[in-house]
Formats: sequence, structure tokens, C-alpha cells
Amino acid sequence: MSSPDIFDGAEARILDRGYRRYDGERTGVNGSVRSVVVHSIQRGLGLRRSIWAKVLPVATAAIAYVPAIVFVGIVALIPARRLTDFVLPTYGEYYGYVISAILLFVAFAAPEMLCTDRRSGMLGIYLASPLNRDTYLLAKALAVATTLAVVCLGPPLLMLVANIFQGQGPEGVGETLLTLLRVLGAGAMITLLYTGVTMGVASLTDRKAIATAGVILLLLVSGTIGGTLADVTGTDDYLMLSVSSLSLDIGPRVHGETPFDQLEITSLSSYLAWFGWTVGGFALARFQLRRLPVTR
Amino acid sequence: MIRIDGVVKQWGPTVALAGATCTIGGGVTGLLGANGAGKTTLLGMILGLTRPDAGRIEVFGLDPSTAGPEVRARIGYSPEHHLLPPDVKAVDLVRHVAEVNGLPHHEATNRASDALWQVGLGEERGRPVGTMSTGQRQRVKLAQALAHDPKLVLLDEPTDGLDPVQRDGMLELIHRIGHEFGITVLLSSHLLEEVERICDAAVILAGGVVAAAGSLDELRGDGEGLSIEFDAEPHEVEAVLTTIHHSGAEIRVNGRNHLITGDEHLFETVRDAVARHGVGVRTLGRRTVSLEEIFLGVGAATDPTEDPRLAGLPAPPPPPPPAPGGHHQDEPR
Repeated sequence: MSSPDIFDGAEARILDRGYRRYDGERTGVNGSVRSVVVHSIQRGLGLRRSIWAKVLPVATAAIAYVPAIVFVGIVALIPARRLTDFVLPTYGEYYGYVISAILLFVAFAAPEMLCTDRRSGMLGIYLASPLNRDTYLLAKALAVATTLAVVCLGPPLLMLVANIFQGQGPEGVGETLLTLLRVLGAGAMITLLYTGVTMGVASLTDRKAIATAGVILLLLVSGTIGGTLADVTGTDDYLMLSVSSLSLDIGPRVHGETPFDQLEITSLSSYLAWFGWTVGGFALARFQLRRLPVTR
Repeated sequence: MIRIDGVVKQWGPTVALAGATCTIGGGVTGLLGANGAGKTTLLGMILGLTRPDAGRIEVFGLDPSTAGPEVRARIGYSPEHHLLPPDVKAVDLVRHVAEVNGLPHHEATNRASDALWQVGLGEERGRPVGTMSTGQRQRVKLAQALAHDPKLVLLDEPTDGLDPVQRDGMLELIHRIGHEFGITVLLSSHLLEEVERICDAAVILAGGVVAAAGSLDELRGDGEGLSIEFDAEPHEVEAVLTTIHHSGAEIRVNGRNHLITGDEHLFETVRDAVARHGVGVRTLGRRTVSLEEIFLGVGAATDPTEDPRLAGLPAPPPPPPPAPGGHHQDEPR
């Protein structure tokens, strides 16, 4: 019996998929912020991109972790009685070992996340969504801060956790909690400092290379100005005008240690400088974003 | 869908909008205007990104300057520029924008793929945007505007940079979006032919005000007089036209058609003249005005300032040079 209605499946093809409506729930502004944060972090770390986009962030992050891993290794491999032969850094001093990696990382991260949106027109698409300028900036700040925390907060936290597991951490629950809070506090302050400063600089241009050069220039120039003023006036507090010196000062200070032994820098000037650089950077980024035309 | 009422916007000394008023409904609406007419400013206001200095805008019954996130969640926007992140795959970009516009991750993934199929990039969805042609990037922009199932899509010069074949495809796609998908489309363009081809309605901005607005039938149906195309020998046509002209009617040649204007008995006059001379008629109907004529201010009124719809439109172009021999195109007889 013939069956004329049966045709060869290989000849079948989809001519029109039709249009499907969506009546489900929408995630609102929170979902928009979350999506921009995740996408920006992936961009900053080179994830879901070519291998070349991953090289710099992965390499600098690895460099920031190397000393921590070495110190943890020393603690793990060398008997406790011989550990006194080694001068291991405190959690506050750790930043001095990795400041170059941190500076390199921060100089590239924020420009990658902010300048790209302006240059590629994504800013207009974002602001045509439930996001507004402030929630967009919040999402970007969260993304930059989370990415920078990888190198500013991660290594000391790794050291602390590893030391606790090896029985070489702070003694007692109270001391452990206090040290944990200090590690988190110092890491958060340094992260916020670099987030504010780099977002401020990156908001001035839509070109990543110029923004990166601008961040490096700011770090050098602020160091030169701070050092010169401190020399001329004899007041060490002026050193806090230097962003990199400030980040080296904040770590030990939060841990209750005395940063820069030979210098007399007050906590007030250090925290004021931190506040000025951080808030100033965010304010500049917000000011710049508010004046950008986005539908052109 | 969109109500614009006396909207004024000034950028420093430049007046972008000077009391624009119109209503935009469903289907596909063209937003026409020369550069600097205020199209982009108006789009920014519909999105709630710019607050009017005076007047009011309502989108879905809401004020976008105060309820921006709620309004924008239901709008898809395709910007004019061709720039998109070059190293991001099309499907990743569309999914991300869908998520930003409120879709959960799983749904955004499915719809991103669907939207790229709808715009004809199903097979190319895994390619980085930077490796795509201008036409493909225009389609990616359209896909990202559609993926979250908006009620309204704003398209800013969607055929810019496309070759004729790509332009045809894009226009057909936009027509489908407006009529088959049931999504209202507001198409900003300076290409009159595109708007005339796929839009149901048009809003013409000139000098910061709405110079004309309404359905294309309304806009084009306002022309005075008749348009007639004869099916006869030239001397027979000449005889009929002479008879019509003697009744006081004015005749212009427009291609193969003759545009005849006269008094309220014009139709009877033409009918009687055609019957008397026994000539064939291929087409006869009310004269319609092209968008170009409306845009250039030579449509319904001779003097644009007499027609409030046309106030502020640029002056009509100079008449074409006389053709050698015979009567002149568009020349009154």
C-alpha cells in the first residue's frame, strides 16, 4: 500500500520560527544591575573572550598571589620550631610585596569595564534599559570593586585561611575574628580606593589605552607631588597625597601596625586622604556620566 | 501608546523641540525630519533619558521622566551607531541585553537565540560581532531590541549603511515586527521612501515642531484635484486637456500622469471631456501627495505658511529646468 503523505525527512526545513511572547516574571532593576556586574567582571577578567584578553588579568592576579602562596608554603613545609628563622610579613605588610602587581591590575581593569561601554555604544543600550545613570554607575562600581578585590583582598585572606588551617593563625576565636575583620577591612579600603580613583580617571575618556596611561600617570604624579611637598614642608602627612603610598599605609594602619616606621603620618591625614581620593573618584565618574549624551 | 503634548526642549541656545505635539499609536510609525529637527531628542525623551523643559510625554500612560525604569523595561532600543563590542559573540550580547532588560538567565538564553533566528542570523549567532558586516550588525542591534519582548521598539536609522538588498530585507523585517509580531515600532529615519514603504503612520518634525502627523492615508489623501493617466494618442490627449483647461482647471504633468486641479465640479468636467473625445483612461483617482511633497512643503498648499501642518518646513526646491520641446514637467498649462 502506498503512503503518499509520508515524505523524506531530509527535505524538511524550518521556514519560520514564529514569534513567541513572554509573559513571565521580570527581574527589574536588581536583575539589570546583577547582569551588568557579572558581564563586566567577565570582561575585566577576560572571561568568554579570546586567550589574549585573559593574559594580562590572569598574569597580574597570579603575581599578586605568588607571595601569599610562598608564605603559606613556608608555613606548611617548615617545622614550627624553625619558623622563627624566617621573617614572614604581617597581613598589613603583605601589600608592600605585591603593590606592583596591584597597580598594574588596577590600571587595566576599570578602563576595560568603563571605556569599552562608551566606545562600543553599549552605554546607550544600557541606559535604554531599566537602568538609569546612577544604577548603571553602581553596577560598574560593584564590578570594578569585585574584580579589584581579587588582588587587593584575596591574597591576605588566602594567607589567613591557610594559616588558620595549619594551626599558625591567630590564637583564640576573638583574635581570629578580629584579624579576619582587619583583613577584610584593609582589603575593602584599598579596593574602594583604587575603584574610585580608576573609575574617575576612566570616566574622562572612551579610549582604554588613554585611561590606562592616565591611571599610571596619576599614580606617578601624585607620588611626585606628595613626596615633594613632604620634603619642602617637612610634613610627612603630604605623602598621603600619593595614591600608591596611601594604599601601602592603609593596610598596616587598619591592622594596628605602624606603617612607614621612620615617618610621622597621622591616622587622620591617612583616612582623610583615603576619603578624598575615593569619594573624589566616584564623584568625578558620576559627574562625567551625567553629562554624556547617550542616544547619539 | 505615546502622547506628546507641547514638548519644549532647549540645549543651551539651541531649541531642539519647540512645542511638539502628536500621538503615536500601534503598527509602524515613521519619525521623519532633517538633521537637527529634534528626532534624537524626542527618542531620548520617550526613553526618559531627557526631561522636557515644558510640556508632557506619556508612554504606556506613564511619564518616562519619573517612571523611567518601568517604561524602559517595555521598550526595545536600537541605536543609530554601528558600534557594538567587537569581541563579544552575537548570542552573548543579545542574551546579556535581554537579561539587563529583565529576563531571567534561562529565558534570556532561549530568547536571544530565537531573536537572532528571527533577524536571519541564526547560523551566525556564535560569531563575534566584530567579524560581522554592517548589515549583520544592524540585525544584531535589532535582535537585542527584540529579545526581551518589548511592547514598543525604537529604531534609530536602522537601514543606515546597508546596500539595497540588505535594506529591502531589513525593511521587510521591520514590517513583520510591526504587523506580525504585534510590537509597536517607531522608526526614526530621514529616508522618506522607507517610511512610505513600510509605515502605517508618520510624524514629521521640522524646526522643533510636528509639521505633520497621522496615518499615511491621511497625510497623502489631502492632495487637491485628480490624477489621470490616459491610454490614447498624444494628439487625443492634447485635445482632452485643452477642453479641460478651457473650463478653468489647472494641469500639471507628472510622469505619465496629469495632475488636474479646479473647482468643485472638476470630476464632472474631466469625465465629460473624456467622454466627448472618446479617449481611453488607464487610471483616474484623487490626487495623493507623496511624503516627499509633504516634507518639502509642496503638497497640499502652494504656500507652506498657509497650511499649519507645514509651518516651519524647509522651502520647496527650485523647479526643474525646462525639458527640450513639448510641455514642461510640473509646469502649469
